[in-house]
Amino acid sequence: MSLVHINIFLAFTVSLVGLLMYRSHLMSSLLCLEGMMLSLFVMATMVVLNTHFTLASMMPIILLVFAACEAALGLSLLVMVSNTYGVDHVQNLNLLQC
Amino acid sequence: MNMFSSLMLASLSVLTLPIMSSILNTHKNSTYPHHVKNIISYAFITSLIPTMMFIHSGQETIISNWHWMTIQTLKLSLSFKLDYFSMIFVPVALFVTWSIMEFSLWYMHSDPYITRFFKYLLTFLITMMILVTANNLFQLFIGWEGVGIMSFLLIGWWYGRTDANTAALQAILYNRIGDIGFIMAMAWFLFNANTWDLQQIFMLDPNLTNLPLLGLLLAATGKSAQFGLHPWLPSAMEGPTPVSALLHSSTMVVAGVFLLIRFHPLMENNKTIQSLTLCLGAITTLFTAICALTQNDIKKIIAFSTSSQLGLMIVTIGINQPYLAFLHICTHAFFKAMLFMCSGSIIHSLNDEQDIRKMGGLFNAMPFTTTSLIIGSLALTGMPFLTGFYSKDLIIETANTSYTNAWALLMTLIATSLTAVYSTRIIFFALLGQPRFLPLTTINENNPFLINSIKRLLIGSIFAGFFISNNIYPTTIPEMTMPIYMKLTALTVTILGFTLALELSLITQNLKLEHPTNMFKFSNLLGYYPTIMHRLPPLASLSMSQKSASLLLDSIWLENILPKSISQFQMKTSILISTQKGQIKLYFLSFLITLTLSMLLFNLHE
Repeated sequence: MSLVHINIFLAFTVSLVGLLMYRSHLMSSLLCLEGMMLSLFVMATMVVLNTHFTLASMMPIILLVFAACEAALGLSLLVMVSNTYGVDHVQNLNLLQC
Repeated sequence: MNMFSSLMLASLSVLTLPIMSSILNTHKNSTYPHHVKNIISYAFITSLIPTMMFIHSGQETIISNWHWMTIQTLKLSLSFKLDYFSMIFVPVALFVTWSIMEFSLWYMHSDPYITRFFKYLLTFLITMMILVTANNLFQLFIGWEGVGIMSFLLIGWWYGRTDANTAALQAILYNRIGDIGFIMAMAWFLFNANTWDLQQIFMLDPNLTNLPLLGLLLAATGKSAQFGLHPWLPSAMEGPTPVSALLHSSTMVVAGVFLLIRFHPLMENNKTIQSLTLCLGAITTLFTAICALTQNDIKKIIAFSTSSQLGLMIVTIGINQPYLAFLHICTHAFFKAMLFMCSGSIIHSLNDEQDIRKMGGLFNAMPFTTTSLIIGSLALTGMPFLTGFYSKDLIIETANTSYTNAWALLMTLIATSLTAVYSTRIIFFALLGQPRFLPLTTINENNPFLINSIKRLLIGSIFAGFFISNNIYPTTIPEMTMPIYMKLTALTVTILGFTLALELSLITQNLKLEHPTNMFKFSNLLGYYPTIMHRLPPLASLSMSQKSASLLLDSIWLENILPKSISQFQMKTSILISTQKGQIKLYFLSFLITLTLSMLLFNLHE
């Protein structure tokens, strides 16, 4: 694998670990989700452009659209939590109630 | 060419003169009621001449004057049918109305709007005449609706009283339900016989007449207060006594029976409808006689008596004897109007007291009224050779000897004996015994208007049956031979009713008042029919319509089906199946470790 691929793959892994291990703010998890999406996008675009796989050049754009939707969903959940508690500390989510 | 049609038309058209004079405003003077009474007496005398011509020669006439309009193939014109039924009914009705007008000169003397009262009574009489002389259904319907409207105006005469307004509205509503049947019959005749003329309908003799005759039966149920549409008649006693005497005993309520009599050529071929009328009349006559047994208002007892006699007329039509029913209409008018006028005399003399528990001892205080009340009651129950005998006894005899429904016959016989019972009750409570009214009395029956009017109807109650029966031509042959027990049935049950009622009244006169039994409550509250039917169906239909309009459409279909049901379902199931405690970091960490381990295993596995 070339160095560029390793670089981007490493960026993806760092964002994944950052998504799954965080201290207290839910917002950091969402930010890492965005980072994952970004690295995936760059990786997909580079592969498609290097191999001249023109038919698949739609894929990164569709990926972007769906990622926007999921970011909106995540942000709405964050807003719900923030409405109830004021801050988005993860240790508040222990009541099983909206 | 004789004066038959001219005299009859003259007699009918002089009745409209006082109405015309109200346009010229000559009706504001105080002698207008006397003019009206005089004009009705002239019309009566004028109408006697064509009637005598008819009796002498059997001449029947149809007068067709004015062609109003032709709607495609339907020709509507103004036509009068002067046959057996109208020629005998018109003088009888005019005679009874003349006496009632004279009576109301005394009864409504202190009323400030007495001229309007007389105008209303006259308009009612004109519409009733239109009804009985109509040759086509359209003109009959005009008269039909006219008597309904005048009934409304006259029942609600004292409109400041809530009960009077309710009773007037009740009369209109029940009559309207009957009118649906009338219009259905008219529509059927329009479609199947292409006409509203009685002659053409009888000539065509249509085959399947179930539907129009059912419609006419419904119309008769509404107008003549048969069972099912009967509560308006006792409620109509809220009107003044002359109104009760004219409309609700002699003329208006017989309009339904008259309609069925007019259609007797169609009815004699339809056995189903005959059985239906027989059973309806039998139920009515028994039910209303039971209800009359425990009423305490003298006018209501007489109203139920009217209803029971109407049921008897319907029974007579049901055994295919229209001419006997018509004879009963004519004879019944005399004594029923007189009974109402006597009760009006009693009410006025006791200072507007209508409860029979507060009357008594009038036998010596009001001898003339007592005489006429007793004679009227005897005529009503069919005492031999008074007026009622000639029609009522013939009806019972014919019913006994005809091939008819035994249950309906039994009901009619029981109702006949109950007639005697409640008549005895009226006489016992109102006339006999010691007075139960207040000592300061205003009993005065010395007014010539009162005495002359009741005297005329008294002579009519005694002799009219004999007079009419001897002078009409024979129609259906009554049964001549029957066993002696059948011949004496009506008399026996009547005497039984009299003795029973008198004995019971005398024995229980001084007993302590107990709590009413269930039978008493059934009879006193009119069989619970008004209580149930005036409350339950309106409540059910209104609440059902409100629920379907607001709850069903708005609340259920727009709100609850998709949005709220989805959110509630999600919340319930998530609470049900989640066992988590919200330890997000633990879950994410375990996910990461699993991922790392699986990566390592996949890559380092040989």
